[in-house]
Amino acid sequence: MRRADGELILLWTLPVVAVIWISAFFLFPGFAHPMSPSMTAAQVAAFYRDPAHLSRIRYSMILFNWFAPGLIPLLMLIVMQVRRMAHRTPILSYCLLACSAGGPAIFLVADVFWLLAAFQPARDTQLTVLFNDLAWMTFTTAVPFLIAQSLFLALAIYLDRPDRLVFRRWIAFFNIAVAAALVPAAFTGLALSGPMAWNGLLPFWVKNIAIAAWIVVMSVVIGQNIYRERSEGSAPQAAEAPVAA
Amino acid sequence: MTGATTEPARAGSPLTRIAWHCRNNPKRELWFAWYTTVIFYNIFFIVFFPVTHAQPPPHPYWSDALVANWFGHNHNGLLIGFGIIFTIAGATAPQNALIAYSMRRMSVSRVFPYTYLVMYSLSAIPGLLLLCVVLSVGALRPGRDPAQLHWLYDFGFLSYTGTMGIFLIGSLVWMLAILLDKNRVMPKWFGYLNLCNALTEVVVAPAWIFHSGVFAWNGLISWWVDMVVFGIYTGAFLIQLRNLIRREDFGDGPLPGLTKKPEATAATLAGTAHD
Repeated sequence: MRRADGELILLWTLPVVAVIWISAFFLFPGFAHPMSPSMTAAQVAAFYRDPAHLSRIRYSMILFNWFAPGLIPLLMLIVMQVRRMAHRTPILSYCLLACSAGGPAIFLVADVFWLLAAFQPARDTQLTVLFNDLAWMTFTTAVPFLIAQSLFLALAIYLDRPDRLVFRRWIAFFNIAVAAALVPAAFTGLALSGPMAWNGLLPFWVKNIAIAAWIVVMSVVIGQNIYRERSEGSAPQAAEAPVAA
Repeated sequence: MTGATTEPARAGSPLTRIAWHCRNNPKRELWFAWYTTVIFYNIFFIVFFPVTHAQPPPHPYWSDALVANWFGHNHNGLLIGFGIIFTIAGATAPQNALIAYSMRRMSVSRVFPYTYLVMYSLSAIPGLLLLCVVLSVGALRPGRDPAQLHWLYDFGFLSYTGTMGIFLIGSLVWMLAILLDKNRVMPKWFGYLNLCNALTEVVVAPAWIFHSGVFAWNGLISWWVDMVVFGIYTGAFLIQLRNLIRREDFGDGPLPGLTKKPEATAATLAGTAHD
């Protein structure tokens, strides 16, 4: 079971990467108390010019830059599970492959804008506001591939054979709920204050908690599946009858 | 799957028939990808033309004041329209998956579908989402310095129009696969239509240089001719993909890998592309 062993290594990178993500999240001074879009230009410039903030902004975003693509192995592990499902075509695993690079890549664009704002904090205040807006809008609206992959996974589970499900049904409903929780973030530009602003309840807290919950839940269920596969694979007759081509 | 899958549901209301196909149609995964593509293009058209007025694109030679006025005038349309795109842009994935699947049916290396899938999956970022983010940032604060709004405006339209290589190489990869294919999955004329689509990516390159005239980002050649070719190309590939799905014959055999190998002829047939 060489393949499963390799998968286990990738699986166990996730808790490590998650700890780094959480650390970077709290290290960035604009997340713990999310920056409001209604801050004045002077306040935004002061945020980046504050010596206590500057290092934290840079180091947190460098950490994100290093480790944001660490999500991709999780998505590939999901693709491998979808390939085990009783589907007639590889369409849904291709759909998930097509989504996998998009989320981290868009996040890295936001990361670059934050680092740009912090690179020359003495520059024209209006330019700092512009980079800050670009960073927050890119970060907040970076949901299309996350929504899509949750829905594709839910559909994949629905189309799987009911008596030999690779993922249990509740995971499909969980993914639909996560997709729904991410939708308000797409419309964050419509409000500069209140629950729909980029620091508000829906686009910030609900969205980010939903993403975190998705990563945790999917990591656990993928881990269970990989360990189950591993134990089944040790039985000689199981090796003769793989679940799917 | 049971024997019921062989009986097409002709009776009942349209909703009943749709429900029957969702449950029993052996090609439902392919039809899901195809209908998602059709619905996505319809929403895309509505958002980009009447809602945001990002298409046909406004002029590249506008002054800062006119650009600021454009953002102010389209404030809600841009933010609502692109909010819709941020919600549904992942619906481009089934289209790329289906096109990659079409190449898996061809007598060509897997290099072709995988190249296309990766290339077009990332194309959504420079070719669509950057425009949406940047113009949303412009619309977010219409009172921003007009010179900065102008920079966002240029950034948005040039990234959208000028992201050429992905579509150029992607179209050529699909073309080459079709022309090399011996299984006749797609007609040869459609292979050459890919070349036309690839050439539109060549003629938009001057949009990076010209501020007005036929080669500007809203010019007769760089936008209007390209849009007509793209419209014909999109219509043609949707029809070709629909024909591909109709021709697929999964029968009502068991699902791949769920029977013992000696009895699995139907499964083997159905599973040839499942890899």
